[in-house]
Amino acid sequence: MQNEEAIIQQLVEKFSLLKDKLHVPRAKRIVSDFLTREEFEQVLPYVREEMGFYRASHVLGTDEGEDLGFIYLLTNDEGIIFALKEKAPKSNPKISSLSGEYPSLEFHERELVSLFGAEVEGLPKGPPYPLPDGWPEGNYPMRKEWNQEYFDPHTMTYNPPAETQKKEAEKSD
Amino acid sequence: MTEYNRVVIPIGPQHPSLKEPACFTVTLEGEKIVDAVIGIGYNHRGIEKACESRYYTQIIYLLERVCGICSHTHTTAFCQGVEELAGVEIPRRAAFIRVLVAEIERLHSHLLWLGVAAHEIGFDTMFMYTWRDREAVLDILAELGGNRVNYSINTIGGVRRDIDDSLKQDILKMVDALEEQVKYYRELARSETTLAARLAGVGKLSREDALKYGAVGPVIRASGVDFDIRKVDPYAVYGEIPFKVVTDTHADVFGRTVVRVLEMLESIEIIRYCLENMPDGEITAKAPRRIPAGEVISRTEAPRGEDIHYIRSNGTEIPDRVRVRAPSEANWHAMKQMLLGQYLADVPITIAAIDPCFSCTDRAIAVNSGRETELMDWPRLRQYSVDWYKKRGIDVSSVKMPERRSYF
Amino acid sequence: MSLIKKAIDWGTRKSPWIIHFNAGSCNGCDIEIVDALTPRFDLERLGILQRGTPRHADILVCTGAVSLQTKDRLKQIYDQMPEPKFVIATGTCACSGGVFDGCYCVLGGIDRVIPVDVYIPGCAVRPEAIISAVVKLLGALEAQQKGGGKDAERRSDYSTVGREIQSFEG
Ligand code: SF4
Repeated sequence: MQNEEAIIQQLVEKFSLLKDKLHVPRAKRIVSDFLTREEFEQVLPYVREEMGFYRASHVLGTDEGEDLGFIYLLTNDEGIIFALKEKAPKSNPKISSLSGEYPSLEFHERELVSLFGAEVEGLPKGPPYPLPDGWPEGNYPMRKEWNQEYFDPHTMTYNPPAETQKKEAEKSD
Repeated sequence: MTEYNRVVIPIGPQHPSLKEPACFTVTLEGEKIVDAVIGIGYNHRGIEKACESRYYTQIIYLLERVCGICSHTHTTAFCQGVEELAGVEIPRRAAFIRVLVAEIERLHSHLLWLGVAAHEIGFDTMFMYTWRDREAVLDILAELGGNRVNYSINTIGGVRRDIDDSLKQDILKMVDALEEQVKYYRELARSETTLAARLAGVGKLSREDALKYGAVGPVIRASGVDFDIRKVDPYAVYGEIPFKVVTDTHADVFGRTVVRVLEMLESIEIIRYCLENMPDGEITAKAPRRIPAGEVISRTEAPRGEDIHYIRSNGTEIPDRVRVRAPSEANWHAMKQMLLGQYLADVPITIAAIDPCFSCTDRAIAVNSGRETELMDWPRLRQYSVDWYKKRGIDVSSVKMPERRSYF
Repeated sequence: MSLIKKAIDWGTRKSPWIIHFNAGSCNGCDIEIVDALTPRFDLERLGILQRGTPRHADILVCTGAVSLQTKDRLKQIYDQMPEPKFVIATGTCACSGGVFDGCYCVLGGIDRVIPVDVYIPGCAVRPEAIISAVVKLLGALEAQQKGGGKDAERRSDYSTVGREIQSFEG
């Protein structure tokens, strides 16, 4: 039986980039800091194949200001949840799809696409989820800058007040 | 076979489940299903965004309404997550009450499922029986929380209602009567050959697939994996309660039925244990309004399986991010595997068997056969499946239900 | 009044058939509706039958705050029902949005999409309340049939929640 500390030790020995980036907040949980896409893709196969985290419960998106965060919740046979985190800038929110290795992530990855505007490369074609048909493009409701008060569900349009629009225009200039 | 012989059938979209009524598109070759596409998202309401603008205590009531059937589980997961962030330890009595209510909820949910499943295979007598028995459970919940559904027992730092002696006696009486009924259902499942013939081999999901597709709850336990959060990662007082994780190796709808029926008996034992061993004392601990910054992953075992909540606080009264991974969400992925290679007549019961909170009987199905488009609804698909089996000599509606003692 | 109209009136009054539609509810009210149809409460003794298709139904029993994806379906179902038709909004969230008020993906009430005859508040509603609503509706129906009143009058008279019925297109 492996415990949390032993798992961390083994991982850090293998990948020096993970040093000080893994934590055990309580029993049965391992949480990593945000990794870049390259780092994440380096670590993941090992975690999956060698460490026994071959089941994925979930992937959830977060808004990290300039970046989008993606938190993968992986589980092994002992029921330890490994929250492996990945980060991508909002300007180029590309991650690779894991739905090949973990088929249980497919819907959750679609959700990242619709709700956060992530670009999940390699995600098989399928119906979008979970936003309704006719949803205005370019609106990603779970991003912090998207304010639901400006959204009119009757017409399905997003109307931010003029000021914020101007500010945004200035920012992008 | 050529493409020409394939028939595509969209089932749905008003196919209700927890958060997501689904639209299935199944492709048939003859009567066998060769492909299935699942489209969900009809019930997306935007709860998670709304969580980012509400206070923690308000969110409890919102999350309770993610699903009206496992409402207690969601609030338990949320409250225990927030308590972990805030470093609050709830009184032992509160923990016992949480477990007690969770198990009563499991009884009500499994009885509901048993009824719906029976309905889908044309066994309406059983449907009426289980829903009648379920009323006894709802009465207890109504007495405890004041509402039959969404009883709001949990709060951050403990529970809102105490259990007094008279209620305790009522609960004991209820479980005694219910135990007898459940044992009868167990006998029915074991000895009734028609039922076994109708359910065995339907919706197969091998152990490997169950793990690969991330199935949870009774679905994975019926595939022989003893994965139960109550044992794997005990919360509240589950760590000290003796109970068995029920598994089965049938790996089909029959197995899922057996698992749920036996789980009800375990739940009854847990309820008895809780009532006996509940210590006296407070039922709430003081919790701060502002929750310290941090993140937490909290999980509970809902009647339908593992329920995961992710909560991140930024040190204010309003959370930064709340994510709910409801158990049915996980089971949808395995659904496709269960449907492949099945007969069209088995679709209703296979979908019902993951317990996606069936409630609405209105679902339109368009059958696209070559040039014609035929419109078919869910009741007709159900009727088709009942007749299909009748023709093959399996008619569950002829099973005799004996006269039972009524306790209302 | 022609004989056939009389027969239809009598039939609607004595044995209304209902169809149930989930427009983004939490399921709490939906199971209570099924509860109302099962042995303890047994709506069937009032002659009420649940039907699977809108074309056979007289009463649309609706739950949920109307999520955007179900909006058009709700309209469709309502349009498919034959006249005279009635709508019961079941549960607080079907009446006003309730707990989901302010969520971006809901419209906040059945009456934003189709006209509603009876509102049943409660989260979740109790089966007794559903029975009471149906009885009320039948009573109103009888009064209307006898008095020959207009549809609009009936609607505002028998709403259990005081709320203006808005105008609806198509
Ligand atoms: S009124 Fe309440 S219980 Fe009923 S569907 Fe709406 S949220 Fe659920």
